Amino acid sequence: MPTRANLTKVSAPTVLMIAALAALTFQTAAAQGNYAKASGSAKNKTAGTAGTAAGPNTPDLAKTLQAAAEAVGLARWSGVGGQRLPEVDVINTMEIWATGTTYGLGQPYKPSEPWAAFKTEFHAALAYNPPAMRLEMTCTNAGAAPQHTIQVVREKYAWDESEIGAGLVPGKGTASPSMTAANYRLLELWILPYGVIKAALAAGDKTKLSTENGTAVLTFPLSGQLAGVTVKATLDANNEVAKVESRSENTALTDMLTETEYSDYADHGEIATDVKSPGHIIRKQGGHPVLDIQVKMWDANNPYLVFPVPENVKKAAAH
Amino acid sequence: MTRHARTSAIIVTAALLCLLPTAVFAQNNGGPRMDHENTLPPTPTGPTPHTPDGHPDLTGLWNGLADNLLGVPNQMHNVGIEVGPDSTRDINSGLQIATWPLQNRQRQNNEQNERAATLLRRMGSNRPIYKPQYWQRVKDFDANSNEEDPSNQCMPAGVPRVGVPSYIAQTPTYLIFIYPGQGGLIATQTSYRMIPTDGRKHTDLEQLDGTWNGEAIGHWEGDTMVVDTIGFNSTSWFDQLGGYFHSENMHVVERLHRDGNTLTWTATVEDPDVLLEPWTTTPRVALLNPDPKAVLPESLPCSERDLAHVVTKEHH
Repeated sequence: MPTRANLTKVSAPTVLMIAALAALTFQTAAAQGNYAKASGSAKNKTAGTAGTAAGPNTPDLAKTLQAAAEAVGLARWSGVGGQRLPEVDVINTMEIWATGTTYGLGQPYKPSEPWAAFKTEFHAALAYNPPAMRLEMTCTNAGAAPQHTIQVVREKYAWDESEIGAGLVPGKGTASPSMTAANYRLLELWILPYGVIKAALAAGDKTKLSTENGTAVLTFPLSGQLAGVTVKATLDANNEVAKVESRSENTALTDMLTETEYSDYADHGEIATDVKSPGHIIRKQGGHPVLDIQVKMWDANNPYLVFPVPENVKKAAAH
Repeated sequence: MTRHARTSAIIVTAALLCLLPTAVFAQNNGGPRMDHENTLPPTPTGPTPHTPDGHPDLTGLWNGLADNLLGVPNQMHNVGIEVGPDSTRDINSGLQIATWPLQNRQRQNNEQNERAATLLRRMGSNRPIYKPQYWQRVKDFDANSNEEDPSNQCMPAGVPRVGVPSYIAQTPTYLIFIYPGQGGLIATQTSYRMIPTDGRKHTDLEQLDGTWNGEAIGHWEGDTMVVDTIGFNSTSWFDQLGGYFHSENMHVVERLHRDGNTLTWTATVEDPDVLLEPWTTTPRVALLNPDPKAVLPESLPCSERDLAHVVTKEHH
């Protein structure tokens, strides 16, 4: 056991060593730039601004949107040489593989029965910049041949492909224009959790925040091609988008209420990105189930996904 | 001085010496910029010098070692994501991207930083459009870049992946471009190009053995230096990331334009074997090193030692 004299003898160098270690610690902290300072105050500060130039300016709304964006890994920054850069929306392209059941819209075998169910393999490639989606589904009903469809939308263009990338090079499949489906297909992008957050931010002051049963609810209108569609999104306790209700006054879309529930959030990507995606998606239209799928993989690492518009589709749109 | 005191003094001195590079670096305003408040291109200042033959003089050190592929801000600049103080824009599509104030950032650890960097480097909309039969291959190359990326095997970056030259020397009849080997986003060997500007024509492609940098010939179009290159191997990738492979028929046209102390570089890639249409990089703007005594430091040899220990597909 050290005596008091020994303690005194040891303490002077110890103080110097502590000072030295403190200096080294300071250097390490300094190497992280403003990171520590900023993050220390972030949770306590009012999010005075957020989103695009037209972003929401109500503090609680801004905080809620930022919390939702961070909860799913949409709002990100990196200290790899960018210690002084702000958080930005990093989500552009995604690819999803899922399996489950789809139901034929309004197609019950008998009026009293539920709509016809199909075992469905689901593969979606999507982008937000520019907005585009390629949805490939193989639906199987007992006793019937599988139905394979590839539906594509990019902004105002919609077409069906006989194979992925059909109609772009000679001899490689056909692309059939399907312009009337453009808005309906595009809507799929904006009722996914990431689309909800992006669209709520873009709607600016038109986005309203309320509370229902103790949970935050965002209500906002879509714009552009989807003007007339109102989206209501309910966040869960983790600030993840749990339920999305969309209703349209646009005659090009159905005016039926579409309700989509998202749950089991996790990083479902082959390459870890810290982007959380739902593992289970259930959708109802007009109160009837139309989709119930389990996600097998959700790649959110901005993979190479492109949606060039075939020339014949452009021509069809021009007429 | 007691033994303890001497030991402590050594430790304190060592700690203070460790602090020095940080302090010196922070004052190095004219040299490499390792941290950024934005990814906006530098604003040109000063006159554009001209050589006696009347052309803009491209000679100089352009951003030294640190401002090409190193660091997320440079990489975001390279893919056309302009992050300003309170707004972000994709300059290819014009899309405004949601941005949150710096002081409100969430805390991230190093692993989260790296994963975010993977996304930030790929969020740009300016992507080459391959023929559909190659879409899956590009995606697979990118997803498996730990094994597939030639730069991870210390191969040369090749043209145009190598980007903006770090040093240019200009004579009336040729240009010398030097690209120091670097780590960071991609690990590459030092490479150089000697580019004739004497009016000669390309060798017939069939007579050329494909190489990483190809056969380059330069000419002036007004005040813009146009470097036309053919004769590549098919081993390199042509952009900083993305698994963007090409064939031996790739044709690259680089444009370099000096405005005061800035140099704007773009490259257009034509490859009818694999691309649906020509693709042009987002303009990259390099800044002249203002120190007339600045020199390029020697690059360390590239030595791949990590791949054998990689257990996931997480990558740059």
